[in-house]
Amino acid sequence: MSKKITKEQVFDAIRKVVDPEVGFNLVEMGLIYDAIIDEQNNVKVVMTLSTRGCPLHQLLMQWVKDAVKEIPGVNDVEVEIVWEPEWNISMAEEHVKKALGGGA
Amino acid sequence: MFQVSREFAPPFSLISPFFTVGSLLYLVAMLLLPTFGADSVRYDISVVAWAHLFLLGFVMMIIFGAMAQLVPVVLEVGHFSVDFYYLIWPLLAVGTAFMAVGFAFLPSLLPFGGLMVLVSMLIFLADTILTLKKVERISLTVKTIAVTNAFLLLGILIGFAMSLAIGAGVGVDIEKWLGAHIVMVLGGYVTLTIVGMSMVLLPMFGLSHGFDETPVNRAFKIMSAGVAAYFLGALLDSDSIRFLSLIALFIGTGLYLWQIWLIYKTRARKESDIWFKSMVVGYGSLAIALILAPIALIGRLETLALTATWFLVMGFFTFLINGHLYKIVPFLVWFERYSPLVGKRKVPMLADMVPKKAAEFQFWFTAAGLVTAGVGLLFGSDELFKGGAAFMATGAVFMFYSIRWMINFTEGLED
Repeated sequence: MSKKITKEQVFDAIRKVVDPEVGFNLVEMGLIYDAIIDEQNNVKVVMTLSTRGCPLHQLLMQWVKDAVKEIPGVNDVEVEIVWEPEWNISMAEEHVKKALGGGA
Repeated sequence: MFQVSREFAPPFSLISPFFTVGSLLYLVAMLLLPTFGADSVRYDISVVAWAHLFLLGFVMMIIFGAMAQLVPVVLEVGHFSVDFYYLIWPLLAVGTAFMAVGFAFLPSLLPFGGLMVLVSMLIFLADTILTLKKVERISLTVKTIAVTNAFLLLGILIGFAMSLAIGAGVGVDIEKWLGAHIVMVLGGYVTLTIVGMSMVLLPMFGLSHGFDETPVNRAFKIMSAGVAAYFLGALLDSDSIRFLSLIALFIGTGLYLWQIWLIYKTRARKESDIWFKSMVVGYGSLAIALILAPIALIGRLETLALTATWFLVMGFFTFLINGHLYKIVPFLVWFERYSPLVGKRKVPMLADMVPKKAAEFQFWFTAAGLVTAGVGLLFGSDELFKGGAAFMATGAVFMFYSIRWMINFTEGLED
């Protein structure tokens, strides 16, 4: 039985996934809402997108899945996109808000 | 994964000809612009030729190419058959050339050009309507696409009938239907399409959230009613209905501008990149057109009406389209060439795939030309109009260069 993986490990793995339009990773954008890990190290990532019609919708889901699968010991990975709560800039990390706001 | 990619982002080889041909015909149209004067703009049949070259060859070509990518984005479903688009651009390009030459030199070419343009647009409409049938979530944008496509169909049928009248002597009252053709295509299709698309694209690129959408919902209803009423006014040959329908269009445009202000106020992303600056000039031009047009209508002032049309077409349409090309083309190139490399090697960001200096030159030359030529039209000055047109032609050279630069971007792929 492998060691139980943690939510932090999952979030750190997803930090490698960068939105090419804004140039920030999905975690610092605040798009990753939760990571649910069961006893068998199956992971369910709950995330949103900054807009419903994102043309990278499918690819972002796949990249998140691929990134989490690289964690040693992880079993199955599922990614769920949710629209509630709706994403807004207040969910992003401070340095992202500052950078997007033109340094304001 | 391939299935998914194809569904939401059609192959770049399918879309890139729209952008290459569209920006080339934009360049040709802009190079021809200084040959006109502030006065000849009003009366010359060559102006009609030029207008079709610009509106079909650039505006419609780029809109159709962008729609290949944007329809799945805004409708949240894949195309019915995106392969239809392989037929659209050659038919539209050759049809446009025939129409421009037909108007300028050889009227007998007009029905042939008109037919090719009509067929290309019917193919576009067929794919769009069959794609709409797959949609489950009916948003404002979905409604605008449905309504605008109906207006486009009516507008191009009227246009085709007029081309038969000019080229083949078919009995169609051109005086009666010309206004309806212009309002259906420019107001009913181009402007309302921009209204619908902007409600997805502006919040997406500006990261705007939580704004009230009441103004645009009302704008859409009032503008659609205005366009439909104008058609009725043409059918009944009623000046009063035509007058009221134009007033409705002005009110709708005002509400739309209010909506844009609300989106602007709630944006999280405040960089002043080439896209943002283009939006400022585009919407600024629409505001100028909206101030001038009602005065022109009520006072029956032809010069003012012409200047309002100038800012609508050369300011609002042109800057909205060109500005979005700096977002859409890099995305498509990135998606095609770099997205398969994500996680395997370093890939560029979309902002790295814009030629910043050329884009800045394009923006400033075009903006300076727009204002200078607009003032030239307003005061009947040939010198100002031609000077402004020359600036816009220079801007178009940089636009064409930028498009080719973005399409050919392969940095980091060599090794």
